[in-house]
Amino acid sequence: MTLERPDRADPYLDLDEYEPEADLMVLNFGPQHPSTHGVFRVVMYLDGETIVKAVPYAGYLHRGVEKLCEKLTYAQITPIVDKNDYVAPMFNEQAVNMAFEALTGTEVPIRAQYIRTIVGEIQRVASHLLWLGTFAMDLGGAIGGGTSVFMWCFREREMILDLFEHLTGCRFHYNTHTLGGNRHDIPAGWAEKVHATLGHIAQRVDEYEAILDHPIFKARTEGVGVISAQLALDLGLTGPLLRASGVDHDLRRDAPYNIYDQLDVQVMTDTGGDCAARYRVRVREMRESIRIARALVDNVPPGPICGTKPIKLPVQTRVKDGQVYVALETPRGELGTYVIGGGDNRNASPYRLKIRPPSLHALSALPYVLPGHGVSDAVAILGSLDPIMGEADR
Amino acid sequence: MAVDESDLPFEHPLYDLMAKMPGLDLATTSVDKLLNWGVRNSLWIFPMATSCCGIEFMAAAASRVDMDRMGTIVRGTPRQSDVMVVAGTITVKMAPRVKRLWDQMPEPKWCVAMGSCAISGDFYRDIYSVIPGIDTVIPVDVYIPGCPPNPEELMGGMLALQEKVALKRAGLRVPPEVRPETAKMIKPRVGRAEDPTREKLIGHHQALQARTLDLTEPADLVEAMTPKAAADGDQEGGA
Repeated sequence: MTLERPDRADPYLDLDEYEPEADLMVLNFGPQHPSTHGVFRVVMYLDGETIVKAVPYAGYLHRGVEKLCEKLTYAQITPIVDKNDYVAPMFNEQAVNMAFEALTGTEVPIRAQYIRTIVGEIQRVASHLLWLGTFAMDLGGAIGGGTSVFMWCFREREMILDLFEHLTGCRFHYNTHTLGGNRHDIPAGWAEKVHATLGHIAQRVDEYEAILDHPIFKARTEGVGVISAQLALDLGLTGPLLRASGVDHDLRRDAPYNIYDQLDVQVMTDTGGDCAARYRVRVREMRESIRIARALVDNVPPGPICGTKPIKLPVQTRVKDGQVYVALETPRGELGTYVIGGGDNRNASPYRLKIRPPSLHALSALPYVLPGHGVSDAVAILGSLDPIMGEADR
Repeated sequence: MAVDESDLPFEHPLYDLMAKMPGLDLATTSVDKLLNWGVRNSLWIFPMATSCCGIEFMAAAASRVDMDRMGTIVRGTPRQSDVMVVAGTITVKMAPRVKRLWDQMPEPKWCVAMGSCAISGDFYRDIYSVIPGIDTVIPVDVYIPGCPPNPEELMGGMLALQEKVALKRAGLRVPPEVRPETAKMIKPRVGRAEDPTREKLIGHHQALQARTLDLTEPADLVEAMTPKAAADGDQEGGA
């Protein structure tokens, strides 16, 4: 097997092509910067205002979650992984519980699968709303007075958090998924609340598009940070980043989990691969998620919401030796969970738990994309990748 | 041996000035009150937002809770800020940066630890890469518990900080801030299975219960596991 090197420039090796006498300036960006979306550091080598080389440094939020999961029981892991992707916690707990269900061979009732799908789609809207608000704030005061879009998006996001508070009792870290189903059933009157909220947000999304149809916003995003389809596939980018580059790939349609095989999920793609394409893909995904959630919430079948008794003691789980990989489509892409069962206390906790975060792969595109752009574009590109450092560093 | 100066007159040029200008003492205290009022109501926040609590911090600054109406404007630079809100887990790699940013803030300055990760490290406190609480690095004035705290709780914490600032500026005694106790593991009444101090034999009451429940186990097993003294005492009591 021969390893072919692609004919594009390697961002780590090709700095020597520049003159050593050139007056390069080193600019340290982060780890504490309002636009880095967490604690993330990029060292940029500037030739004038143009970035010549960019070296990202991660690990400022490394919390050892995978190691921590090895000594916790299966029921205790769910609230821990909530904190990984703290913008979309519903997907974290669903991913880890789907992996445990595959490992233990637990059946999930159909009602629980409906609830998981509905809360996932609503969470996707909330995550994209937060992304849109912070992205518009990163682009600065150019768009209608700075923080207007941020304030609007958080106004609508709070309504979604109210929905989840009604369902689970928690505003932020829900701990509602469990091995074999869900903990909280849909309360009375929740479906009407979902309809009212999502219908309201669907109107507001039109308003966001109207205010962001702005020449300055277009100038800051169009043609900025182009990721080609080949580069996206090579780096393992998934989710809206991959779809914005023109690759038609969505795990909800291509590898359906829950009840997505019965649904007709429209995969939103765009060509161009720049920041504007990523923005358009996410806004369309918001509308699609609203449509799916509103269609499902009236047709939830009756039945139990959990296939097993609530697990309190470790001996109640029967885990065979084996390994599973389960992936699902989060707002940021493919969130994979790889679990090896077995070990000394096989019925209590996994032997090894590996999380494949989409944000880490998204950040790996930075050294390829940033050279050639100005410093102000670096903020726009980093914002458009939508990285969550709790997930990338784990 | 110190000289007793209690009966000696204390002379200072300002005293003569104040004696000549009645009302100057009133002016100085009034200026102090004005300063106090200004500092209390313009606490600019430097968000040291690392993880989940940062999102709730943003929600607190956004439209529903709108913390700005208390004068707490969020600034992105430490050099223009009065309060550092540490929101989120602080790792070993991040702690020197937090200390450096804290040193860059001008006096007077305050620190708010938001969330259980910043207070004690929470369930990450035993992890190799997480420091157990931000107060091991910088002094903390207000602790806001929660994982993460609601925006309303953050607002309550900022109101508590305003009260504290007012007390301090007025020269009153400020009660020292005590870090809330970390949750301790409650020792179970019956030892856990892995606990080496757990009794090997079942207790007297458990043996009695086993008899009354009419378990399928042979009775001699219960007899064998019952301590001798307890079994004798039982028979005597029954007779």
